[in-house]
Amino acid sequence: DLLQQPQISKCRSPEMETFSCFWTAGNFYNLTVPRIIQLLYKKSNEEDWKECPDYITSGQNSCYFNASYTSVWTPYCVQLASKNEVYDKKCFSVDEIVLPDPPVHLNWTLLNTSQTGIHGDIQVRWDPPPTADVRKGWITLEYELQYKEVNETKWKELKPRLSTMAPLYSLKTARDYEIRIRSRQRTSEKFGEFSEILYVSFSQIGIGCDHCTEEVEFPWYLVVVFGVCGLAVTVISIMLSKQPRLKMLIFPPVPVPKIKGIDPDLLKKGKLDEVNSILACHDSYKTQLYSDDLWVEFIELDIEDPDEKNRASDTDRLLSEDHLKSHNCLGAKDDDSGRASCCEPDIPETDFSASDTCDATSDSDQFKKATEKEEDLLCLDRQDNDESLPSFANTDPQGQHRNAPSENSLLWAPFGDSIESPHPSVHTQISNQNSLTSTDFYAQVSDITPAGRVVLSPGQKSKLGRAQREGCTEQNFTVDNTYFCEADVKKCIAVTSHEENEPHVQEQGYNEDGYFTTESLTTTVANLGASTAAPPSSETPVADYTSIHIVQSPQGLVLNATALPVPDKEFNVSCGYVSTDQLNKIMP
Amino acid sequence: MSTKGASLKGLLLVTLLVSHMLLTKEGVTSLPICPNGSVNCQLSLEELFDRAVKLSHYIHFLSSEMFNEFDERYAQGRGFIAKAVNSCHTASLTTPEDKEQAQQIHHEDLLNIILGVLRSWNDPLIHLASEVQRMKEAPETILWKAVEIEEQNKRLLEGMEKIVGRVQSGEVENDIYTPWDGLPSLQLADEDSRLFAFYNLLHCLRRDSHKIDNYLKVLKCRLIHDNNC
Repeated sequence: DLLQQPQISKCRSPEMETFSCFWTAGNFYNLTVPRIIQLLYKKSNEEDWKECPDYITSGQNSCYFNASYTSVWTPYCVQLASKNEVYDKKCFSVDEIVLPDPPVHLNWTLLNTSQTGIHGDIQVRWDPPPTADVRKGWITLEYELQYKEVNETKWKELKPRLSTMAPLYSLKTARDYEIRIRSRQRTSEKFGEFSEILYVSFSQIGIGCDHCTEEVEFPWYLVVVFGVCGLAVTVISIMLSKQPRLKMLIFPPVPVPKIKGIDPDLLKKGKLDEVNSILACHDSYKTQLYSDDLWVEFIELDIEDPDEKNRASDTDRLLSEDHLKSHNCLGAKDDDSGRASCCEPDIPETDFSASDTCDATSDSDQFKKATEKEEDLLCLDRQDNDESLPSFANTDPQGQHRNAPSENSLLWAPFGDSIESPHPSVHTQISNQNSLTSTDFYAQVSDITPAGRVVLSPGQKSKLGRAQREGCTEQNFTVDNTYFCEADVKKCIAVTSHEENEPHVQEQGYNEDGYFTTESLTTTVANLGASTAAPPSSETPVADYTSIHIVQSPQGLVLNATALPVPDKEFNVSCGYVSTDQLNKIMP
Repeated sequence: MSTKGASLKGLLLVTLLVSHMLLTKEGVTSLPICPNGSVNCQLSLEELFDRAVKLSHYIHFLSSEMFNEFDERYAQGRGFIAKAVNSCHTASLTTPEDKEQAQQIHHEDLLNIILGVLRSWNDPLIHLASEVQRMKEAPETILWKAVEIEEQNKRLLEGMEKIVGRVQSGEVENDIYTPWDGLPSLQLADEDSRLFAFYNLLHCLRRDSHKIDNYLKVLKCRLIHDNNC
């Protein structure tokens, strides 16, 4: 609808010898007064505008400049004008507007076909456009070939080339193809028009493959399957290979938790005692053990209790015979304690009656019940230890070996000393204890044998609290007897006096109550290569610990008594206990 | 002996260097080179023309691209195109303007013309390379192309002089030459004017390189292939 001015659409030279300009007339021709449009041109070195020499040759609305009018590298300007006005103007030089004609004489020949006959190669040839004088080198052309299957929409291109032939590889003989070519001057960017389409049909020359219409696609699934199989085979072969290096390279061993000093083989072979002995050397383990052990009873003393303050040190209380006689359970006055002592009638705990707990049978299950069992232990001192006490006092802990090196103040290590006798080197330290001439009072029950015997752990230090001393007689190994003296054990365990004087028994792992850890016990056991303890023989000197056979409430525990031949030095125990390892050694 | 070892090493080094030199190929294409020390080493005329055509094509290709890049980057919207009808400093040289003239001119004259044009461009190319660097934010590609064109132009000049020496029967006339005085315009303070000067120069370079490329191809087809390329 808008009035469109005449415009020069393009100027083009097909061979760099002539050129033509084309324009659009616009809407002006529809007007009543026909306007005459002229094309004027001017070379750069000229002054005047000249009119187009040929309006006809190139068609309507065109102007053709033949060779005589064409100077290739000379700038031209053309303008579209009528009498009065100039509609459009364009300036260029001929070498810039070269757009060659399409190639001619396209043909193809068969190069070869595949063995299956499904694919074929062809060679396409053509001639350069006739107008372009390539033979004299006036113009250099390059060609671009495009092809596609007949029913496709997108053309595939080949790279522009200078030669007038091109091969096409791997065409499907069952399909028909179309080919077209266009050319451009070598240093230009724009291509000329496309040539006529060349049709390629293999069936025409008798090569068409009728039976092979199926296309063999790349069997991806086969690739995947075989790849997975190969990978699996490789992995399996690596895993099974004897080459440790290769194995380690591909499958690096996952680091397993390792505790220093412990041979994983120990764990495998089930020698728990040895492991325990080793573990006893590690504080952390001991701490953990104690924290998890249900039988560890932590005595908490209320420091603000005036009664307590008025009391003499627990140690003294523990160690004094009066105390022993008067109190069955020491330090049971901790109201904060969650455990009631069956020995103290004051404690209003009703969870269990003292009688009940102290009547605990030797059933191992009962032992494993939480606090009740602990109270059983607490009741141990109810036995007539008085008699044993003197024996405690008389017993010379020094007589026991003193040699074992103490690795820590709590003397866990001595138990682990394999060289020495199982007696802890606590003895040496005990000598330092002024207040504590006797030994520890408590022994922790570390384990319960399947037979129902309780295995005491070597106590590391005696906590003042409830003195769980029992009569510790060397000879009392009958079933009805109480267990062996904690005092002896305590004697064997280094206790620092100031620690013992602490009224506050805090809940700390192994520190509590002078319980003996299983480790310390078993350390010695392990050193001797013994397993769970067995009661010592009555003839031989008793080791530090023995296992509890039964708990007779409320009096205490019954220790196992077996006749065990024991080397003297091992049973050089003052407190009448037999260490478990000794027992184990003794036991067949 | 240390000296013996040193001399052996030196011999080995020399051998390696010589073999390397023999194996490496230089130039735009892999054309045979004369072995060292040969006095009568002569490339055939065909090989000389091949090299020259390749060089001229390469130079035209670079200058065409450089012009397009410059046009895109600096000349848009400035109306330079309208002023494209300008004169190059080589316009004073009489060069064949169409195929007819190129066909008719004697090959020696044509060679001389080519030489003249190449010499006339020696100076502007040097300054173009240096002045392009001062252009505001000159892209690396334009800079590199300017330097490359200047270098290749020198080599083409040498090659043409060799060809002329072979082909020319008589004396070598060396008077075809146009001086270039466009340096001040490249250094104008006004950015528009300066950029137009560059545009002009690059346009002329593209045109003249196309001319030379064409002339050489015509000569090659005429002299080597007997008008049957």
